[in-house]
Amino acid sequence: MKTRIALGAVGVTIAAFGALRFLQTGLANMAYSVAWLVGGVAIHDGLIAPATILLTLGARPLVPRAQRSIVTLAAVVLATVTVTAIPVLGRFGARSDNLTLLPRNYVAGWFVFAALVLVCALAAGLWSARVSSRRK
Amino acid sequence: MKLAERLPGPPTEEDFDSPLRDERLTARIGVLLGICFGLAFVTGLISHLHYSPEPWLPLPSRPVWGYRVTQGLHVLSGTAAIPLLLVKLWSVYPKLFAEIPKGRIGTLVLNLVERASIGVLVAAAIFELASGLANSSQWYPWGFHFRATHYAIAWLAIGSLILHIAVKLPVIRRALGEPLTGPEPGPSYAGPSRRALLRTTWIASGVAVAAAAGNTVPFLRKVSVFAVRNGRGPEGIPINKSAKAADVVATALDSSFTLTLRRGAREVSLTRADLKAMTQRGHTLPIACVEGWSASGTWTGVRLRELLDLVDGPAGSDVEFRSLQQHGAFGHSLLPGNFADDPLTLLALRLNGEELSIDHGYPCRLIAPDRPGVFQTKWVHEIEVQA
Repeated sequence: MKTRIALGAVGVTIAAFGALRFLQTGLANMAYSVAWLVGGVAIHDGLIAPATILLTLGARPLVPRAQRSIVTLAAVVLATVTVTAIPVLGRFGARSDNLTLLPRNYVAGWFVFAALVLVCALAAGLWSARVSSRRK
Repeated sequence: MKLAERLPGPPTEEDFDSPLRDERLTARIGVLLGICFGLAFVTGLISHLHYSPEPWLPLPSRPVWGYRVTQGLHVLSGTAAIPLLLVKLWSVYPKLFAEIPKGRIGTLVLNLVERASIGVLVAAAIFELASGLANSSQWYPWGFHFRATHYAIAWLAIGSLILHIAVKLPVIRRALGEPLTGPEPGPSYAGPSRRALLRTTWIASGVAVAAAAGNTVPFLRKVSVFAVRNGRGPEGIPINKSAKAADVVATALDSSFTLTLRRGAREVSLTRADLKAMTQRGHTLPIACVEGWSASGTWTGVRLRELLDLVDGPAGSDVEFRSLQQHGAFGHSLLPGNFADDPLTLLALRLNGEELSIDHGYPCRLIAPDRPGVFQTKWVHEIEVQA
């Protein structure tokens, strides 16, 4: 219990330092940031998480039981990695005077990535079907 | 299907019946997520020190690849954390709908405080990852000051993470001590096992890193389909700010350009021909930017120390560089004395065997080892030794 209390105290102190630094950025800056702080949680909890559940419920009847594992896992890779690619897929930072920034065709890159996930999922599906048929 | 049967109406914690949403999975993802956040925090502090005008801890000018590695790790550990955080939040989502304990006021207060602290942690974590990810592609869709805010919220995130670990320590110990598998899920369940989801989460995190790492890791340049840079550009090196964006095209190409060296009342003016007539040295040094990209180039020019000697600049003096760039925060930079005296620090005139292009800082630019790219001042026209 002592370890936990000490650890908790360290955490609170560090967070308090962060809060103080945040206060020092000024009211206008804090107002802009709070929109992002609250917005991030709201978008996840109110949009991404429920949408994931609804998509899962919607897709369930369409996917045969034997394939549900593979499809779920492929969707996890596809969705979470795509989130990391949002800024480049949208090319939001692109500038006409700097062609070295965002130099790739990211949409084509995404299709290559998605195709790779698909191929791996198919291979894993075939592999597990072979293994389970051998067991029988 | 319990959730679907009960709609409409808010769900309760028990409605989420997936056997994957389990503390044994959450804790294992949490360990790696904690490591990623810790790594991003420490490397972020190093970057913040580099950006501080008067750092409380003086930074060394070696190894030359120091900032390249720490800032590459900073951005990549943040990238790795995104899939981890998404799956971890998914695994604990039902807790959002957990019943608030009735009865003793103390228990209620404790529950609310814990919820609030997790709220701060999640908000800070999403803020750091989202703002960092956008910044790495030079996308700034916000009104706040990025550096000050990303820094302050980092402390908030790490502090609330440590508090969260303290609160959950018994759960973490229990969850990590137990095997990931079992008990067998009911016959209606047809999804993946916990172990399969965990491994897939590691793979997703690894794929996200591999898809971005070509920004800074040369052998991944072709593999990284989501990298913001591909290591190519004028003279083989990407650029961050073009001469056009810095509004220096006319002044940089002006044939009457002179470089002024100054110390107190002493002043020496040099044309580009004068600089070329001095001893030329070539060093291979990286440009490493805060956005996490980097590229190594062979720079040729005059050793900075030999220029400072022209105005008898004492060893160890800080040196101010002023650019032809009139606008923006990085039109000038202060180079600490130990960097100015480093024999590898150059006022570069050429890059990879070619004349420096205007986007790389023609007529001349600073290139020092182990420095963030924005402080490698381009289009230098004044160098002043500080008293």
